[in-house]
Amino acid sequence: MTVSKADLGDLFDGKLPWDRTKAIVSGPKDDGRFQVALEVLQERVSWPERILLPLSEHLYVVEKTGEWAGERIVKCDCGYEFGDWRRNWKLSAAVIVRDDAESLEEIYPGLRRPDPELCEVREFICPGCGVLLKVETVPVGYPIIFDVLPDLDAFYQDWLRAPLSDTQACEDRTFEIIEEWAQGGPTPHGRPA
Amino acid sequence: MTRGIGEDGRTLAQMLEATRARTGETGCYAGIMEPKLLTGDPVRAELYHSRLMAALIAGRETTRMISGSPFVREVAELAIGLYTPEGDSIAQSVGIQVHIRCMGEVIQWMIEHDYEEKVGIADGDLFWCNDPTVAGMHPADVYDLLPIFVEGELVAWVCTVIMEMDIGAVSPGCMPTANVERSTDGMRFTAEKVGSDDMLRHDIELKVRYGLDMADMFLLDRKGAIAANIRVREEIRRIIEEFGLDWFRCANRELIEEERRNQIARLRQRTVPGRYRNVVPLEYYMADQPVTWLPAKKDHIRIVPIEMRIETAGRVVLDFEGAGSWGWHPFNATPSGMWGGLAFTLVQTIAYDGRANLGSLLPFEIRLPEGSVLNPPDVRPLATASIWAPVIDIYSLWCGMVSGAYYMRGFREEMFTYRGGCGLQMAGYDQYGTKRPLLAAPTGNFGAGARGTGDGLDAGGTLITAEVDLGNVEIWECFMPYMDLGRRFEPWSVGWGRFRSGASIPTTALLHRSTETIVAGVVGSAAEFILPNVGLCGGYPGGKRFTVILRDTDAAERAASGLPLVHEIGHPAAPAYETNIRAEVHTPHHLPPPMEVHDGDILLVSVGSPGGFGDPLERAPEAVTADLDDGLATPEIADGIYGVHAQFDDGAKCWVANDEATAETRAQRRSARLERAEPVSEWWRRSRARILDGEIHPMLAEAYADSIESSEVFAAEYRGFWGLPDDFRPGVGA
Repeated sequence: MTVSKADLGDLFDGKLPWDRTKAIVSGPKDDGRFQVALEVLQERVSWPERILLPLSEHLYVVEKTGEWAGERIVKCDCGYEFGDWRRNWKLSAAVIVRDDAESLEEIYPGLRRPDPELCEVREFICPGCGVLLKVETVPVGYPIIFDVLPDLDAFYQDWLRAPLSDTQACEDRTFEIIEEWAQGGPTPHGRPA
Repeated sequence: MTRGIGEDGRTLAQMLEATRARTGETGCYAGIMEPKLLTGDPVRAELYHSRLMAALIAGRETTRMISGSPFVREVAELAIGLYTPEGDSIAQSVGIQVHIRCMGEVIQWMIEHDYEEKVGIADGDLFWCNDPTVAGMHPADVYDLLPIFVEGELVAWVCTVIMEMDIGAVSPGCMPTANVERSTDGMRFTAEKVGSDDMLRHDIELKVRYGLDMADMFLLDRKGAIAANIRVREEIRRIIEEFGLDWFRCANRELIEEERRNQIARLRQRTVPGRYRNVVPLEYYMADQPVTWLPAKKDHIRIVPIEMRIETAGRVVLDFEGAGSWGWHPFNATPSGMWGGLAFTLVQTIAYDGRANLGSLLPFEIRLPEGSVLNPPDVRPLATASIWAPVIDIYSLWCGMVSGAYYMRGFREEMFTYRGGCGLQMAGYDQYGTKRPLLAAPTGNFGAGARGTGDGLDAGGTLITAEVDLGNVEIWECFMPYMDLGRRFEPWSVGWGRFRSGASIPTTALLHRSTETIVAGVVGSAAEFILPNVGLCGGYPGGKRFTVILRDTDAAERAASGLPLVHEIGHPAAPAYETNIRAEVHTPHHLPPPMEVHDGDILLVSVGSPGGFGDPLERAPEAVTADLDDGLATPEIADGIYGVHAQFDDGAKCWVANDEATAETRAQRRSARLERAEPVSEWWRRSRARILDGEIHPMLAEAYADSIESSEVFAAEYRGFWGLPDDFRPGVGA
């Protein structure tokens, strides 16, 4: 079923009445959903760049214009830019790592607390606005997870039949940042709004 | 050459070979390039499918009417499926659908092992299988298989699965944890012919009666399953009379091919191609288990990286490269178990329109490294009681990965995560004086993960059965020497977020009229001290699950005095049992070795809920006050987690948020976060130094070393991320 822009916005906000939400959940999925979602989200951001893909809450892959034309970057709705979409945006975030009993107890008290010797809770935060973007709970020492590397060009060209203006190889470039760090390179990789 | 029992006098082996070959050559099931029969007359096709589904669901309900087991009657741990002669799934009932593909694998195993020639397959023959080395999830799940013949030709199979309370396993039975060799798994039927002419063999019945503590329950379940299968068989014969045998043969195959195409269409419509990643930690505490195979007595962790690649053609690869190695414990998965896990997850996340069958799985490829904990080199010597454990953990996280795809595509209403759980099972003499396994299996005590558009269902989160149900307290109490002390939602079980996960309901059981009883773990998840990574888009996973055993309590005296007992967990940092009862308190991990318990002892088990969605500081204040009203949050949670200022309005008898103070607090919390946070690069440098210095828990160091040794790809990822030398191997004090 086709969902209107207004209803989809309310659905995303958790404000759509349950009977209409249920109808959307149970009804056939609409082929045009992605386009409507893009319109809803594009209207909500204050910056001009075109959203290519909503990546997660507050985060988008956008197409830069002007001086940076041709770049595709991950951007927060506050305007903070995390860099190339093929580099794990988490490496350009701020992080609070809960790796001791005291900090874990703030979220998981008493019987609910994981073992800090085995588990760490990584909270990735937007340096621009302080919003919590992702909580990663993993074994201590596990590399930061690159949750999703979308194949943007294949998606637009083969699935949406609307190719983007240029193509960029879908390859993981996160280790470029690691190499800079290993050589004592610059620490912040994002740029403020 | 002997005439076969299949189509046109072919043997089942010939049919299986031909179907596989045509599927492989064309990419379409059985070489069907166009499902013309179904598309040519869609109304008749729909009617036909409805008739199949009605037959299966009626069969399933038949079982529920005959069985005496609360597993069947209370929480519906059963399912029933229809198969082609060569064992490919055509249609399936609701229920524990993890077994639908596995039961088909059993048929194919029988075909591949010359059953047609050497064992014989005839009209009215009954076969049982509960051997996971053939296929399946654990021996407690027993498959009843019945061939359907029409005019001398085997035209289909119908199979029913029921989970048994007792399968003759070592104590505590059913799903034991002190179980590392196959002999401790209990009674096995390795695709055994157990009857003919619709009648169970007398010697098989005697084998059961002399082999199981709960033989009556087992045999009643079999009667239910056999009756269900016969009912479906007779309905299939009526359908064939009505639609014709040629239609039946052709339509069944087209249903599989049609579903394969629909599945690809759904993937292309609702997901985004690309690479998705997560990691599953598996914790195995076996050192204290009372087993005689001493190499098993070792605590260890295994790492299982998951990579899903959605390709533009709609094909999906699930790649477990880097999964740690197998071990002597009952928690190794198998390829069959991994496919089963995918099957039941798909029917509730993508292929949920009632048409699921083998076609739902055909676009998928699962890559399981040989020798890993997901694909041991030889399953036969191993215990298999808890294949479930890693499977549930893996697919719960996979749900989160699929949710990421749904989010990007705008289908946030379909986002979902769930989480396995562990508990306690007992063995001993029940209140009627019979020694037997004592396991309750309420599935409705799990909260569901948050969706992208709202909170998760409270007590609605067990993906393994679509119709989650706690069952009736009074019925469980008839089967177990205990009394339930409470069934209350636990606010601290929740995964926080803008939308929170559902809340879970802890078990609070007081032993009553028990004698010579032991308690031990039952495992439906291998994660314990490491939280599963199921938080979505800034939401947190629910906290750690836990088990508490209160022994030598003063419950009897307190009850006699009319004082409250332990009816809920209370605050996890100051649990109710610390003040409400005098007891010897044990808080074991998820694999407690067997321990004696007595009347008046209390067992507490609380599962952790899955993940929340979004930043908790963005949760609507009115949603928080609603939680306060409903007992699903406390003032401490409202303030500490959500940053909501709320006060109880004595006049209106409800909580009211102070929006202005809330907004101010939330702004301060966001600023405080930024002050407390550091650039990832700083944390990376510190962590790298710790790894280089070997300042890492020995079990984790061993787990990483194990995965590095198993996989060059994982080794390159691990060393690459931490900027480590090519020959670096994690170790303590490395």
